[in-house]
Amino acid sequence: MRSPVLPLTWHLTRSSGRRGLQSHLLAAGAAAVGAFVMLVIIAATLGAGTRADHTTWRTPDAVPAKQATAVQALATTYVRHEPVTVVSLAQLSGRKQTPAPPGLSSFPKQGEVYVSPALAELLHKLPANQLAGRFPKVKSYGTIGTAGLASPDELVAVVGRTPTDPAVSKAAGDTSSWFDMAQMERAEISGFGGDTASMFTAGDQGIAVLGVVLLAMPVVVLSAAAGRLGAARREQRLAALRLAGATPRQIIAMTALEAVALGAAGALTGALTYVASLPALAQVPFGVGTWYVDTLWVGSPWLATVVAAVTALITVSAVSMLRQVATSPLGVAQQANPRRTRMIRLAFFAAALAVIFMFSGGGLQAEQAVALLLLFYGAFWLFGPWVVDRLGRLVSRFAKRPATLLAGRRLSDDPRGAWRTVSGLVLAGFAAGFFAVSLLGADTSQYRGQVAVTTGHAFEARHTAAEARTLLHRAGVTATVTTGPTDAYDNLLGGGSGVIAHVEGGQEQLDTAVTALTPLGAGRFPYGQDYAGGSDKATFDRLDAVTIGTLALSFLVAATSAGLTAAANVLDRRRVYGLLRLAGTPLKVLDRARVRETVIPLVVLAGGTTAMGAYGSYQLNKAAGATINTSGAIELVVCVVVGALAMFAAISGSRPLLRKVTADPAQTAD
Amino acid sequence: MSTVLAGYGLVKKYGSTTALAGVDVEVRGRDSLAIMGPSGSGKSTLLHTLAGIIRPDGGQVLLRGERLDNLGENRLSALRRKRFGFVFQFGQLLPELPAEENVALPLMLEGMARRQAVVRARRWFAPLGLDGLEQRRPGQLSGGQAQRVAIARALAVEPDVVFADEPTGALDQRTSTEVIQLLTSATRDTGAALVMVTHDADVAAHCDRVLQVRDGRISNYSQFTVA
Repeated sequence: MRSPVLPLTWHLTRSSGRRGLQSHLLAAGAAAVGAFVMLVIIAATLGAGTRADHTTWRTPDAVPAKQATAVQALATTYVRHEPVTVVSLAQLSGRKQTPAPPGLSSFPKQGEVYVSPALAELLHKLPANQLAGRFPKVKSYGTIGTAGLASPDELVAVVGRTPTDPAVSKAAGDTSSWFDMAQMERAEISGFGGDTASMFTAGDQGIAVLGVVLLAMPVVVLSAAAGRLGAARREQRLAALRLAGATPRQIIAMTALEAVALGAAGALTGALTYVASLPALAQVPFGVGTWYVDTLWVGSPWLATVVAAVTALITVSAVSMLRQVATSPLGVAQQANPRRTRMIRLAFFAAALAVIFMFSGGGLQAEQAVALLLLFYGAFWLFGPWVVDRLGRLVSRFAKRPATLLAGRRLSDDPRGAWRTVSGLVLAGFAAGFFAVSLLGADTSQYRGQVAVTTGHAFEARHTAAEARTLLHRAGVTATVTTGPTDAYDNLLGGGSGVIAHVEGGQEQLDTAVTALTPLGAGRFPYGQDYAGGSDKATFDRLDAVTIGTLALSFLVAATSAGLTAAANVLDRRRVYGLLRLAGTPLKVLDRARVRETVIPLVVLAGGTTAMGAYGSYQLNKAAGATINTSGAIELVVCVVVGALAMFAAISGSRPLLRKVTADPAQTAD
Repeated sequence: MSTVLAGYGLVKKYGSTTALAGVDVEVRGRDSLAIMGPSGSGKSTLLHTLAGIIRPDGGQVLLRGERLDNLGENRLSALRRKRFGFVFQFGQLLPELPAEENVALPLMLEGMARRQAVVRARRWFAPLGLDGLEQRRPGQLSGGQAQRVAIARALAVEPDVVFADEPTGALDQRTSTEVIQLLTSATRDTGAALVMVTHDADVAAHCDRVLQVRDGRISNYSQFTVA
């Protein structure tokens, strides 16, 4: 006999009325948000990897001299604070022809200069004495194709040279100061098969993974909230259908079928929204700049996995809720026993922290670091409900007003539920608080306004200084030029020999000075503060962007979760709310209790961890003699304020529902 | 005893259905009135109209001579909170609050300090046979105990009238008798009137008077002499 489950589910879903439809739409909407957020963050992670792969050709892949066919030198110069990667290539005579680097149709000949489209635009925009003068003069520039670029905004140049050109000489590979690390390298090569990504993209994927880790849990919570949304309605259906003779298996099958349909519809909508918004997402800058659209395409397997995972989460949540109802309908409705948490959670958390402290001394493998991160996450996940429980008890103990008392009792009654709503923000808040205000790394502010030119030997410095004065004067730059003492390691020369120009004026003057002094560098570009802080900036700027972005997305997901949970709670508790209203309890008391139930743990826990992160970062900065990142701190505050308002708005969004379920409680003729 | 609550010429319609078709009721202090009738007869509508929950389409409701059918929603809500007590069939207690805080809640809503409200709430536990159950939550109470907590909550504000809608509908016969005896006696002891809707003639028999409602009209009126 044909199973009645499918037609019955379809019929009941269609006839569930306006409230049922609202509930379906909300659940599907939550699934859409969850799938969209996960796909975006996975796209950023995979895309960051692809971008890094597109830069590996720039770092010379050294081979033994006998096998070498060319010389490659990587150099970095800065214009308007942005890095310009310069790859100099020279074919060795009498050797096999070296293959073309990615993005070029052939190996560049001497005197040929290829530039990325963004650099071509900048060369056109800026006066030649600020940028173009750093490169060999050519009639026209070739263009580097997308295969050789990580981002449409990247500034990259490939310059064809002779093997004797200073730019590819051994001096060009002399990484005498630690500023040069990963910004300068030279080697003999036979191709471009290296696997060392550019400094500006190498860490992006790891940092994006941080975003995935921080966002995974809020998305799981959101999906669970979506699955729970129809619980009250399903409970009624369960009772009615059980009376009509349906078996528990049929009931569960119907619930699962409905949840699968809603979850899949929502998740697919989220996936389609992701696909449709790829061009817009590609315009969001991260790291080296905006994205090529195809690097953000996650591929069909990932798309299907995310849709399936979100659908599965919603289905499991819906069925598990139904199972609770089926096991003990009264238990769920009245919650016979408070879901108290035990001290063992605190003990486990302390033990986990001790383990993390013991093993995080440094020199960790990536797998070990991930294991410690997961341990921290797990420990925090266990610890959170315990804190909420204690917070609830504390609030109810000292509550003077009914709304606060109700909120406190609700918190200690179901601390896991309250924790779920705010957990994502608590963890994201800590990371954002820490990294947003962090300016760890070398403080390079003492190099402001300076341009350094290295010389091979100390005795050349005096002569170079004289030449520098002449060149700067000709370029119209006012500067004081000094020779750097070779025994001083805290200046821009880092103990090397050379000259330092103290330039008066702004960034334009500095860029002009770098361009003017380029001929003196013997193959090395003159450099300044941006070069000195390049490595740290590449890391901390991205951490800042990811943590703030993650916090913003966490707020979006958490606000959606909080809104859904609030709506589900109103529906689940509509009888008691209705009767309290009927007995004269003001609506605002019930409403305030609902809002405080989320706002109290949000402010205390998420606010607390964000502040803790920021304070920890401040102390670390202080110890390192650095000030905090003011703009990062402002971003953090704006993000927290806007996010908190969004959460508040999401919870308040169910106020009309509360008003509706508690209004006219006696619309019967009896 | 003077009339505490009265309804005159009460009319209420839901679309084409007439739930109340000109009902007159008077309730005096310490009076207990049971409203009976078949399903759809209008008995719950009558109780809700007298309690100011439903606004009648016609007629007047007077509480100690003051009209309440023309009051605004906020004033009606405050009046229900301060001068009426309610006992329903089930599900009226907040599951996360201990019994004593459920009883103290209406007092706190009236602005009484929490400590004082809880002390006052506790006074009701012994007379209603709830001694020792102050810290229990509704889910940890039996049906009869939960109804007694609800009675305590209804009486805690020292109301003029207690409204009970099928207060024993979810209880077994023995517990039902215990609860109704407590409800009627405790209400009378506080000087409040009791208006109760019930299907159960045995429960109604504990009241001073019984109104039979049919098709929105009073079809019968009986008066018992309570022993």
